[in-house]
Amino acid sequence: MDLDKMRTKKILAGADKNADTNPLYNPEALKKIKKKFDAFKSTFEGPDSRCNWELTPQTILGSNIPREMLYTPLHCPDTDYSFDLGMAGNEPFTRGIHTNMYRGKKFTMRQINGYGGPEDTNKRMRFMLGHGGTGVSVIFDLPTIQMYDSDDPISKGQVGMSGVAIDSAKDMEILFAGIPIDEVTISLVSHYPSNTAILFPMYLAAAEKKGISLDSLKGSVQNDITLEEVVRSGPEYIPPQDCFRIQCDNIEYIRKNVPSFNFVTLNGYNLHEFGTSGVTEMAVAVSNAIETLDELIKRGYDVDWAAKRLAFFWSISSDFFEEASRIRAVRRLWYKIMKHRFKSKNPRSMWMRCHVQTSGISLTRQEPLNNLIRASIQALSAVLGGVQSLHVDSYDEAFSVPTEESALLSLRTQQIIQEETAITEVVDPLGGSYYVEALTNDIEKRILEEIDQIEKVGGYVKAIEKGWIHNKIAQYFYEEKEKIENGEIKFVGSNIYKAEKNKNPSLEIFKYPEGVEERQKASIAKLKMERDNEKVSSTLKALEDACRKNVNIVPYSLECARAYCTCGEIFKVFKKAFGLWRPPVMW
Amino acid sequence: MDKKIKILLSKLGLDVHNRGVITVARQLRDAGMEVIYLGNALPTEILNTAVQEQVDIIGVSSLGGAHITLGKDLIEEAVEEGLKEKMIFVIGGIFSIEDESKLKDIGFDGVFTAGATKDEIVGSIHSFVKERAGQ
Repeated sequence: MDLDKMRTKKILAGADKNADTNPLYNPEALKKIKKKFDAFKSTFEGPDSRCNWELTPQTILGSNIPREMLYTPLHCPDTDYSFDLGMAGNEPFTRGIHTNMYRGKKFTMRQINGYGGPEDTNKRMRFMLGHGGTGVSVIFDLPTIQMYDSDDPISKGQVGMSGVAIDSAKDMEILFAGIPIDEVTISLVSHYPSNTAILFPMYLAAAEKKGISLDSLKGSVQNDITLEEVVRSGPEYIPPQDCFRIQCDNIEYIRKNVPSFNFVTLNGYNLHEFGTSGVTEMAVAVSNAIETLDELIKRGYDVDWAAKRLAFFWSISSDFFEEASRIRAVRRLWYKIMKHRFKSKNPRSMWMRCHVQTSGISLTRQEPLNNLIRASIQALSAVLGGVQSLHVDSYDEAFSVPTEESALLSLRTQQIIQEETAITEVVDPLGGSYYVEALTNDIEKRILEEIDQIEKVGGYVKAIEKGWIHNKIAQYFYEEKEKIENGEIKFVGSNIYKAEKNKNPSLEIFKYPEGVEERQKASIAKLKMERDNEKVSSTLKALEDACRKNVNIVPYSLECARAYCTCGEIFKVFKKAFGLWRPPVMW
Repeated sequence: MDKKIKILLSKLGLDVHNRGVITVARQLRDAGMEVIYLGNALPTEILNTAVQEQVDIIGVSSLGGAHITLGKDLIEEAVEEGLKEKMIFVIGGIFSIEDESKLKDIGFDGVFTAGATKDEIVGSIHSFVKERAGQ
């Protein structure tokens, strides 16, 4: 009963009813339009119809939302301008979270960096910052992300691959040498709550070494249970409930001690790319946000304290108008949830702030230069949706990690949109389009509907435990693969308009630096000789005790980082304290 | 009636990306094969499971960059254990063009990259099995 009362859909339905409506279109005008519209539409019906009035676009990662031939005020007849759209920077934030949007604050051009050892990535970060990048995202290698050390047998051949190898706070010191981390915003792509609880304290320890105070650190961590328990494939998992607790511990600690840092980036990106619709992507991330805020309120915090620096991360795929509308839809929905479900008082908590990345799964191996066009169009749709920060994928990513040249080209794509096109000079330029407003309304409803499904399963963590999310995704991506193979979803140069001769592109592919594994192994060996190993044992023991008690674990994990404990050593503590979980089978 | 083809699928090492291998698992099952999915594992564990389960084919997936190192380990261990001639080895994932041919040189019977279709994968597996039977 209590649970039913907390259903977001019900709460919002009540709130909508209470509003004084002030419709934009007068009923007489609508009647007139309807007459003409019906006559127009009738010419498309019947067996000789020129083409169907309604169709459902088939695009990669699309949401299967039907579209009509032509949109008019009849598709959003109840529009109440102030209630549904308003001014930018004002409730309900449909048109953007800032009053002046990109005229005031350009979107952050944040490209991902990470390969090899910490010294290699340090070099690439300085290169990107030196060419006008305004933020840095650091991505970690597979052993680091999965929380094993470079010298663990399971890490063989994977050290420094698809990210940078970080074994201890020592490596963090090298990674950020010479980078002004009190000026540049740093996004640590620490996907999981567990590795956020390991890596972020190492980052703090490195900042302390530089003499930088924690309140001047700006940036984000990811810290998302979805990535650890749903999207990831890994050898060992801790149970979802414990993972969720670590997510909330991280948030609580960072909010209190590193106030300018975004303590959670609710990551729809990897879920969307893994294979699900844009609607599910957002429903899952928002459900996670709701449950997280509920937990922090339970821990005694005010919702506006907890929500202040919440951020989202979306993947922008190929259905141009769906993607731009989706960003607008979730921005309004998030406002409603904060206002009506959580009774937030601070407009900042109602901001759906987001970083987005163009879609990796939409890139093809055939004719890779086409990927440049795909990524540019996706980036444009993201900017029209009003995002805060952007990463544009590089055209060579169906082959390997981007080269320096292709990474620069991605940054240039952003800079061209920003500086040459005047697109950013007017706020929410798509607003008011009958089509975009109708699609925004439709998508908002669909996201809320899926949030409701998750809440009916018992909430987000329960939906993971029961395998509900896993099954939903697996079903989607299996069907999508079939649609790609039978040509329903089209890829130019790949499954349509294929070149007659499939010649291999002359691409210069990124080559990983050599000897990283040996270097990392040697530095761990040296570290273990030099550090105070008694302190290592005692801090690890204290962390284990904290895991078993009802206290925040992050201060203990920070002590471990300061003592130069390694990632693998800290993860072992989690596995021991929480036990292992077997995720549901997905096929 | 032909014997059901039995295949073991695994993620190589710590690679986190499993959409591809899960899709392939379902496609092969739908094509009438018996599929065992091991999850993330290293070559030794993959080969031990393959022997235990008496599979015809081992398929590994790698999108994280470790395909050459771990792929080589897998084939070398298989040769040492006398399994290379008994089983068929295929690999799928994100590889550069250069590495695609390197993987064939290392000894994989089939190498599949992003965009490989169900027909290509199922068709190749059938023809590998036929080839082996003909030997």
